[in-house]
Amino acid sequence: MLSRFAFLFKLVLVIFCLCFPAESIAVQSTPSGTADLCLGCHSNKDFTAKLKNGEDLSLFVNKDLLENSVHNMLDCSGCHSGFSPEKHPSRILENRRAYAASGAAICKSCHTTFRTDLHGRMVKAAEKSGQYCVDCHGAHTVQPVSMQELSEPKYCLGCHLNKLSMTFKNGEKQSVQLDHMILKASVHNKLYCTDCHFGFSPEKHPIRQFKSSRDYVIASSESCRRCHFDKYTKTLESIHYSMLSHGNMKAPVCVDCHGAHSIGRAGQERTVSAKRCKKCHREIYKTYSSSVHGSALFVDHNQDVPVCADCHRAHNIEDPRTFDYREKIPGMCGGCHANKELMDKYGLSTAVLQSYLQDFHGITLKLYKKQKDAGNKITLKPIAVCVDCHGVHDITPTTGPKSSIVKANLVKRCRKCHPDATENFPDSWISHYKPSLQKAPIVYTINLIYKIFIPFMMVGLILQILLHIWRYVVNR
Amino acid sequence: MEVNKIIVGGKIKRFSLYRVFEHQFVMITFAILVITGLSQKFHEYGLSQWIIIKLGGVDTVRLIHRSTGLIFALITIFHIIVASVGVVFHKWQASMVINRKDFTDAIDNLKYYFGITDQPARCDRYDYKQKFEYWGVVIGGLLMMATGFVLWFPTFFVKFLPGEFIPAAKAAHTNEALLAFLVIITWHLYNAIFSPEVFPLDTSIFTGRISVERMKHEHPLEYERITGESLEHKPQGEESSTKQKPGPSD
Repeated sequence: MLSRFAFLFKLVLVIFCLCFPAESIAVQSTPSGTADLCLGCHSNKDFTAKLKNGEDLSLFVNKDLLENSVHNMLDCSGCHSGFSPEKHPSRILENRRAYAASGAAICKSCHTTFRTDLHGRMVKAAEKSGQYCVDCHGAHTVQPVSMQELSEPKYCLGCHLNKLSMTFKNGEKQSVQLDHMILKASVHNKLYCTDCHFGFSPEKHPIRQFKSSRDYVIASSESCRRCHFDKYTKTLESIHYSMLSHGNMKAPVCVDCHGAHSIGRAGQERTVSAKRCKKCHREIYKTYSSSVHGSALFVDHNQDVPVCADCHRAHNIEDPRTFDYREKIPGMCGGCHANKELMDKYGLSTAVLQSYLQDFHGITLKLYKKQKDAGNKITLKPIAVCVDCHGVHDITPTTGPKSSIVKANLVKRCRKCHPDATENFPDSWISHYKPSLQKAPIVYTINLIYKIFIPFMMVGLILQILLHIWRYVVNR
Repeated sequence: MEVNKIIVGGKIKRFSLYRVFEHQFVMITFAILVITGLSQKFHEYGLSQWIIIKLGGVDTVRLIHRSTGLIFALITIFHIIVASVGVVFHKWQASMVINRKDFTDAIDNLKYYFGITDQPARCDRYDYKQKFEYWGVVIGGLLMMATGFVLWFPTFFVKFLPGEFIPAAKAAHTNEALLAFLVIITWHLYNAIFSPEVFPLDTSIFTGRISVERMKHEHPLEYERITGESLEHKPQGEESSTKQKPGPSD
């Protein structure tokens, strides 16, 4: 009898709701008589019940919020059917989630249709996802949809905090579950989901089909360029992009290096940057780690040393095997090694760059560059640059036990272009020293003699010329 | 002496055709060496880079420089052989050999310039200025050849020379080049072009002939020797109080 009455009541209520907009109802009414009775107990803030799992469930109802809720015209028993001033069955539920589930069941008795398909799917999947109506809309505090401060991430996370996965055409599966903490710690924590996942919204959740999880990752990277267009255009010049456009799907895209939801802040610890490259360039990373720069970074946490991206750049990574790249190497090394302030810290000479650039090889390299810029078509020989003697990723200190490696490299490198070079041939390179009586006495002496002799000779000859002219004029 | 045979049309034959061609070759090779060499030395300047790019790049410039250097070296070596053979077997007069008179001539000329004496030094076939230039070209040329070959084939020379000789050769080559260039554009071009005595151009090295007037003025001793004439009593300016002693002609 009672349940029939309840059903009739609900029917009337539904018709009533359809006839009057929510706002007009909200103003006119207050909780009816029975509510005061219920609130007699339930307005007590400390009123709790023990759940089976030992959790405390607060039974407190905030009267003010209730009065302002969209359901303020409902009697308590309108939702809590089976409860009345006369009847108050005792239920002890398993846990909070079970309680939320029972609450959702109440909502569904009135709210049978949903504005969007996605919402319908969410409600249907609530059992599986554990995300119930009340988790988003609240219970006694239900607001009109237009007034709800239901943030979008919260909406999306409603499902995506749970174990969800998507399946690709090739059968691969990828989790689409998110860790809330990771998202919060990321540099994008102020963004909405749809800022990156464009095409998606609380209303729209298109079903897309990708061939493979790699296809999905590559497609997802397209999102980044909407904000980071400068970086995106730089990547277009990179060797990675070129590999990708030639069909190498393994070539890294934005998220491979930066991560997706876990994007960190730029300018953090430099090891992080180096480790990104390690994912693919494992061997090089190993070599780098034991180099003078790498060991300073990983052992001493020295933040002055270059990491991969300092030489190779982060986004416009060039093919390092080209002449153009080779030509830039002295400048790259010089970036730090010609910086007096920085080198003084380590007692290193900054003359290394100029002494190279002013030498035969440095001059040739520079002139090659000029020729190339001028459009001369000629074969450019692989002129020796810093890395040829000092190492590429395995750069060793020039002093100490490992310094002999540099010397050994030198002969080997000389022979690449000068095949008949003898062991003492590298001596013809007076290192990065300025000629002096100690370092290169013959060179120093020759330069000194001419430094005196040329001006002496020229002054003498010009004086003679002047005297000759003067005499000639006087004679006339 | 048959003066009329020696003086033809107011001119005296001064250089053989061989010497004329020799000078032409040295002039052209020197110019090419200077252009291709100094543009490498002064590689930072726009003009140098322009030259290098227009010539087809630094590798081409080096190829031109080395081939021209080779030609220059051959001319120089051939010159030395011809001169040695000539002096030793054909009893040529070693007129380029520097002697005591060249130093006294230089001092006498300085005195003349300063107005201490009224007459310039009386010189023979080659005056001290010409000898200075000649030996500058020969000795400088030999130095440039030696250092040039070291720089061209460094790996070969390092087999029996210490490594430091390569940068040392470079230092010598580049400094000597600058010196030679400066001497030529000031001293030689002044004496051959801009000197009021020869302006607009001393043509004797191109035609092989020199005017009698210039011969009498610049090489009086040689003139006297080949013509048998004495110029001492000829009215040439004021009567000189400090007469020059005719020095030994070789």
